[in-house]
Amino acid sequence: MTSTLGTTLVLGGLLAAAFGAVVGIEGGLRHRAGALKIVLGAVTAFLLCMLGANLTMVYALVTHDFSVHYVAQVGSRATPLVFTVVSLWSALEGSILFWGAILAVYVFAFARSHRNDPPTNPLLALGTMMAVAVFFAFLIAGPANPFGRVSPVPPDGPGPNPLLQNHILMVVHPPMLYLGYVGMVVPFGIAVAALLRGQLGDAWMAVLRRWTLIPWTFLSVGIVLGSWWAYAVLGWGGYWAWDPVENASFLPWLTCTAFLHSAMVQERRHTLKLWTVSLSLASFLLTILGTFMTRSGVFNSVHSFTQSEIGPTFLVFLGAVLVVSVFLIAVRGPLLVPEGTMGGVASRETAILVNNLLFAALTFTVLLGTLFPLVREAFSGVKISVGAPYFNRMAIPLGIAILFLMGVGPSLPWGRASPETMRRQFLVPAAVGLGVIILSLAAGLRGASTLLTFGLAGFVGTVTLREMLLPVRVRMREQGEAFPRAVWQSARRARRRFGGYVVHLGVVLVFVAIAASQSYVVHTTATLKPGERFQLGSYTVQMTGLRDGSDPHRRWTAAEVRVTDAGGREHLLAPRMNFYERSTDPIGSPAIRSAAFEDLYLTLLAFDQAGPSASFNAWIFPMVSWIWWSLPFFVLGALFAAWPERRRDRAGAAERVSVPSDARSPGAAA
Amino acid sequence: MTRRGLWIGLSLAAVTAVLLFVLAKGFGRDPHEVPFQLRGKPAPDFTLKRLDTGAPVKLSDLRGKPIVINFWASWCGPCKMEHPVLAMSAKRFGQEFQFYGVVFEDTEENARAFAGSPDPSFPQLVDERSRMAVDYGVTGVPETYFIDAQGVLRDKVAAPIDPRTMMEKLAALKQPAGPVSEVVR
Amino acid sequence: MTAWVLGLVLAAYAPQQAGSALLDPPREARVQALGKQLRCPMCQGLSIADSNSSAARAQMDKVRELVAAGKTDQQIRDYFTSRYGEWALLEPPASGMNLLVWLLPLALLVGGGLAIARTMRRPAVVASVPASKPEDRPPADDPYLEAVRAELRR
Repeated sequence: MTSTLGTTLVLGGLLAAAFGAVVGIEGGLRHRAGALKIVLGAVTAFLLCMLGANLTMVYALVTHDFSVHYVAQVGSRATPLVFTVVSLWSALEGSILFWGAILAVYVFAFARSHRNDPPTNPLLALGTMMAVAVFFAFLIAGPANPFGRVSPVPPDGPGPNPLLQNHILMVVHPPMLYLGYVGMVVPFGIAVAALLRGQLGDAWMAVLRRWTLIPWTFLSVGIVLGSWWAYAVLGWGGYWAWDPVENASFLPWLTCTAFLHSAMVQERRHTLKLWTVSLSLASFLLTILGTFMTRSGVFNSVHSFTQSEIGPTFLVFLGAVLVVSVFLIAVRGPLLVPEGTMGGVASRETAILVNNLLFAALTFTVLLGTLFPLVREAFSGVKISVGAPYFNRMAIPLGIAILFLMGVGPSLPWGRASPETMRRQFLVPAAVGLGVIILSLAAGLRGASTLLTFGLAGFVGTVTLREMLLPVRVRMREQGEAFPRAVWQSARRARRRFGGYVVHLGVVLVFVAIAASQSYVVHTTATLKPGERFQLGSYTVQMTGLRDGSDPHRRWTAAEVRVTDAGGREHLLAPRMNFYERSTDPIGSPAIRSAAFEDLYLTLLAFDQAGPSASFNAWIFPMVSWIWWSLPFFVLGALFAAWPERRRDRAGAAERVSVPSDARSPGAAA
Repeated sequence: MTRRGLWIGLSLAAVTAVLLFVLAKGFGRDPHEVPFQLRGKPAPDFTLKRLDTGAPVKLSDLRGKPIVINFWASWCGPCKMEHPVLAMSAKRFGQEFQFYGVVFEDTEENARAFAGSPDPSFPQLVDERSRMAVDYGVTGVPETYFIDAQGVLRDKVAAPIDPRTMMEKLAALKQPAGPVSEVVR
Repeated sequence: MTAWVLGLVLAAYAPQQAGSALLDPPREARVQALGKQLRCPMCQGLSIADSNSSAARAQMDKVRELVAAGKTDQQIRDYFTSRYGEWALLEPPASGMNLLVWLLPLALLVGGGLAIARTMRRPAVVASVPASKPEDRPPADDPYLEAVRAELRR
């Protein structure tokens, strides 16, 4: 019964999506005003069907209805309730179903907030989004159907993948990524609408920008959480391996970030339109490519738990979207004529244009590196590897250049900068940057690119803080406001700017953390008997004993150690080795002691019950926690930038739109 | 369509076509498969000692009869599961083929305890520091290697071996070596 | 059920020996550097220096042995590629078709840079749509003054 209900709802969703797609596109191209209401109805129907299907699946999981195919695949009576609900997205079919729900919510939210707009643009946008929804609904109804019936009904199931029950991060990381990935459909629809119409005005540009910021935020969170999980759980002390699926999430983030900056030029100078729209399309395309890479089984990756049959279907969809996008860019793109001009070489818009190029180059390089082994195998049958050394070698110079631009861009004005301006803007930050390098050298730190990163971080940090505090100082002086009020008022009136700079500060943190945690690692390995100890940096590690234990799905052995830090404080850690029935190698769990400026990271390499003795790997990673600490900066900055302002009647506002507008008032230094 | 549009369109279309071709070709290939370069080459020589007696065993002394070498470890579940297949094959075909087991990344005590539990129907060898395993290109356990009577490494199975695969590989081992060809997928 | 019992039996047998004893710092540094270049055969994309798996440890021991025996870096790399092919190297050697992966990004950067430089020099094509936004005002060359103006206007 559950199976039938679920399948019916999915099919209903498919029909609603198809209907909405056709009416939306057709109505948009023919400017049919009445069509918008119909499409809104279709979107609502799609939402109800998708939510219904998801709730049905959750119900089936919770009641352990093993007659449903997906429940038989990942359900288990032994699994705690939380993980039973979470197992909705623990395997392929369930996660695509979950996608469908998220997609429906996004599209519905968009439709609702634009229901009173001049209908043509929303119609085209919604039609496009519904067309994408058709594909996903088709996937759920067909190749990736979780609602199939299983007969005879098994009494119990294997439960979700044990790695997914290990750590709270695994509960949060996938949904965050889905919210980011799926959210890219909305800007895609908006951008396609602009191309179909051959115009991209200010109001529609603002819509495009706002609806990109939301998935961008989720994607950022998902990526950082993923790297945190890799660090805390996988036990090799790293957080980013340039694994194909990691790259798959990074690529759309790169183009999306570039888009957010390019959009500024679009709005202020009315140029770089084709760049901006292309970046928006690219973000969605890379999302689909990324999903293909994760799910097709074609790539060797940490994430390729499940090989699936949806690969070919996905490839066809990817091909279709690529062809449509290329066609639109080539044929309609040139219609997006710039209405303004670029400023001089030393201007903010030029800095952003160069930024676009750097991001495009980084995206291209990561994509090329990820696909290259496949290319070589396709053409010559030879298997090669393109791994971390390649990506680091290419990404570090590009990253440093981007970091440099982060300080240059905000310092330069729109339009043209005189030598006077340049000197005033750059003198102090450059001095700070240089000072940081000198201090680092004096402290004994070495490494050219690392020191350069630190120096640039000082440079960029100074620029960013100055740009944030500048209007604060003016307010305090001109209007006699106290510091806290001045900060709040300035921020409130320039949300995007302020929020953007907060995010920049977070990025600076990440750069510094990565540079320090890669360059100044201290490592040792030692075998101890109980009572013996070894020294690493300012820490003394003493083994106290071995301990065994078991969980429902695994057995483990832990080596208990007592760590004494520089201040004499003691901490008890227990790195572990876990034995799962299905894997040939045991999987280690590291023990981490996080201090403010460094982490002590211990793993258990081997042990001997007879000794007893244990062998350890120990590292000190400086500054690595700062990567996770950057998350609040990303989230708060983006939230602040995206928060809708109170609607104000604007002098000179031509259209009456219901979009909460956050375009700058005339003359604002946004 | 403008000229600029045409240029953009053509270059993007070309890239798209290459991308789709490359991705489509990826289907059917196993991304986890590790290349086996020593196929058709003489098996690297080794001198290991037997687990039970400590007597040395040299590969060059074993020429004349085809050899089957199985790598395993005490901490490897699937190794224990495949062991009966090897034991049975050793019993049945011990006249025509020589079966040896090599302990991988493990201590002698552990190996002895593990090998003791099913009866050791074929000799187990100790590989100190897994030198010989790395020499053979072992990527993990269990793995089984097939060497013909002339000492040429013919094939390997990088997974727990089942009876049917074992029969196929043994039969192939008796055939003379063909010309060295590309890895057959 | 059998798997569970198996698990019980397994845990009683400790896995793995630790790696071989480290060499003196200069040579151990070579071992680690080489280890970062070689791919662990049963992990997903990790180097043998980073991976904790048994195969990786065995290979690191082999690297250590070869370094101690006086082999050069290239000889050690060749040892592994003769067993696993070019696949064993995490950075594709810059020869033959592999040059593409090294040169194409560079070409994109240079080409893109040139294109931008050319666009900057050419006079821009401006549409006849009147820009109502006051970007028409004279180029602001003093962001501080502009900020002040903006604040006072509120």
